Amino acid sequence: MSARPTASRATDRADRKPAEVAAPALRALRLVPQQPAARPHFQARELWIGVHLPHLALEALSSDARREAAHPQAVVELQGNAPYVVVANGPAARAGVRTGMSVAAALALVPQLTTKPRDVRREQALLERLATCAQRFTPRVSLSPPDGVLLEVRGSLHLFGGAAALGASFRADCSAAGSRPRLALAPTALAALAAARVGEPFEVTDVARLTGALSPLPLAALRWPPKMLERLAKVGVRTIGEALRLPRGGFARRFGREPLAALDRLVGRSADLRTGFRAPERFRARRGFTYELDQHDALLAAITPLLERLAKFLEARQCGITRLECHLEHRHAPATPCVLELVAPAADPRRLKALLDERLAKLQWPEPVRSCELRSGKLVPCPPDTPSLWQPGEQGGGARAASTDLIECLRARLGFESVHGLEIHASHRPEAVSSAQLRIEAQPVTAASGRAPFASGAPAAPPWRAFRRPLWLLAQPAPLSEVGGLPCWDGPLRLAGEPERIETGWWDGEEVARDYYHAIDPRGARLWVFRERAKPHRWFLHGVFG
Amino acid sequence: MLADDPRLAAILNHPAVWRGGSAALSSAVPTGIPALEACLPGHGWPQVGLVEILTSRLGIGELYLILPALAWLTRQPAARWCAWITPPAGPFAERALPPWHRFGPLEPFAPTLVAHGVSLSRVLVVRADAPLWACEQALRSGACDVTLAWVQRVQPRALRRLQLATERGRTLAFLFRALSAHTLRESSRAPLRIAVQPATEGVRLTLLNSRGGTRGDVIVSFERP
Repeated sequence: MSARPTASRATDRADRKPAEVAAPALRALRLVPQQPAARPHFQARELWIGVHLPHLALEALSSDARREAAHPQAVVELQGNAPYVVVANGPAARAGVRTGMSVAAALALVPQLTTKPRDVRREQALLERLATCAQRFTPRVSLSPPDGVLLEVRGSLHLFGGAAALGASFRADCSAAGSRPRLALAPTALAALAAARVGEPFEVTDVARLTGALSPLPLAALRWPPKMLERLAKVGVRTIGEALRLPRGGFARRFGREPLAALDRLVGRSADLRTGFRAPERFRARRGFTYELDQHDALLAAITPLLERLAKFLEARQCGITRLECHLEHRHAPATPCVLELVAPAADPRRLKALLDERLAKLQWPEPVRSCELRSGKLVPCPPDTPSLWQPGEQGGGARAASTDLIECLRARLGFESVHGLEIHASHRPEAVSSAQLRIEAQPVTAASGRAPFASGAPAAPPWRAFRRPLWLLAQPAPLSEVGGLPCWDGPLRLAGEPERIETGWWDGEEVARDYYHAIDPRGARLWVFRERAKPHRWFLHGVFG
Repeated sequence: MLADDPRLAAILNHPAVWRGGSAALSSAVPTGIPALEACLPGHGWPQVGLVEILTSRLGIGELYLILPALAWLTRQPAARWCAWITPPAGPFAERALPPWHRFGPLEPFAPTLVAHGVSLSRVLVVRADAPLWACEQALRSGACDVTLAWVQRVQPRALRRLQLATERGRTLAFLFRALSAHTLRESSRAPLRIAVQPATEGVRLTLLNSRGGTRGDVIVSFERP
């Protein structure tokens, strides 16, 4: 790089005259460092492997890669109103399906194309999984969302037998995770990433050779905004080399400082600081026992020290967990798992111990337990609770933690489905209106729901006069015997009031055509019975007024 | 009446004077049924304590007695859970209703609850093989405002435990049991114990235990479908 201050001044002046901004003239000029940010003596002593995952959107959704590879598939995403193709797999791409194509056009090309909606969260999860794999090779791994990972490998090359061997074993890790990455090696992070995106073999270890190697690559690899690429293309600048040859001052004025700084980072003229990737923390601890344990209380006592370690671990991070796995290992038999799922994040060892106690009491294990391993799920930030002035049940005293504790305690002993809330569906069929809601909200905002007579969230008002409905409903209508055309249940029933006709569902095959009556049995109970409108005209008991 | 004397009324209003009838005056849950309020201590259900309801048969109107209280409790600003513990799946089988098992358990019907003003977000349904255990957990946890439980046989000791648990968790508990000669005879530590029997209009209530209130029969008629 030759620094020519006189030329730079000349460029400055030249830039102000539009006549001289012609492409050939620009190309003739050499790029000259002028900005204070650009330090010509900066020397990158790093070596980066850039990982680009062109099929990430597809890989994140795939369950059986080998089987799916044979069929044309595409991941689609809505843009405005129309879905378009994000990425297509091999067979689809060979048939001409391209990224950015509308789904209608893609289906016209390949009628048997399977489309899947894009799931950004799963893509991120896969990316993090690959980054975790990459931490095997180097402590300096950073994510480059949405589809890139960077590994700084200068220090680890000799440990893994060179760049090629390291790359090959990282590729193997990735393919085990169901992903096919493109790799490139360069002394700067941005260059490695850009070269990986281009997809041609790229291995440069020397900074001096970097600019030359980058020159033929297309500018699109830098992922600058499309409008800017278009403007550059208009003046004949299509490759990285051509952009590097543009005069710095004019370039900064036309396109901003950020692209210029990116070019500096690209060729190693300025440092590229990147946030390191840190794998999400989990707790994992194991304890072998001196004796084989068979009794559940002895086992619980032996697990307690592990729980205390877990509590300290969580306290230091101000986090809680919503999932705890306890693996009980035996001499011959495979380990017995024992999983706690919590409604709200917990960090209190006494609470975890009480729940584990309930769970272990119900658990059967084939052999005595020799050792135990505790694994936590993801950590959830869980700031310590502020104690309330009021006791629960007193004026203004809600039950904060206690409300989830109760649900977990009951679920640990009775099973997950045994504790549930209720929800309403919009339907005319009585059996389809009310159902169990297993996902219980830990702390609903009661102040808001308290005002409205009908709780928000659920369909506001039932579509009919709910006052005429019973408080109890049988899970399944019970057939009633009949005497002289009238239903009997412990004696003849007395029908009261007008019947209510419910006739619905003829369109979806679950037709309901019934006349509902209020009935009073000989001992004073009020029942909700119906007579089928269809031929045998049988009577059924469907509900009980409380 | 002596109480009409203003001097006596002034003395009786003094907070240091305590009379039997004033035991539950501190806090009460409105029942929404004037005839019942008139004879309950504190003119409402107690906010803390065990209420035993003995019914001759499931479905004679025992739930409509407490629905207004449930609606009031679940719509308080800091409402806690309203737990329905083991809704009847056969506890009343031998006396009250033929076996339900073949048709599955009875389910609380959400739209009716909503129509009566109960906030569904506070309703918790628990199915337990040991309802007394679940009931005690719910009561003593302090996470519930009100607990409804359906049980068949209870030892007097268990009732005592439940009563203590309600005090610990500051909870109101309704315990539904079958009315029989045996349950009428047995002693109970529940502060409020009511037998419910069908009448021509509404139900006939017999207050068996009523700490600080009146005893005897009340005919209650209320709006039912």
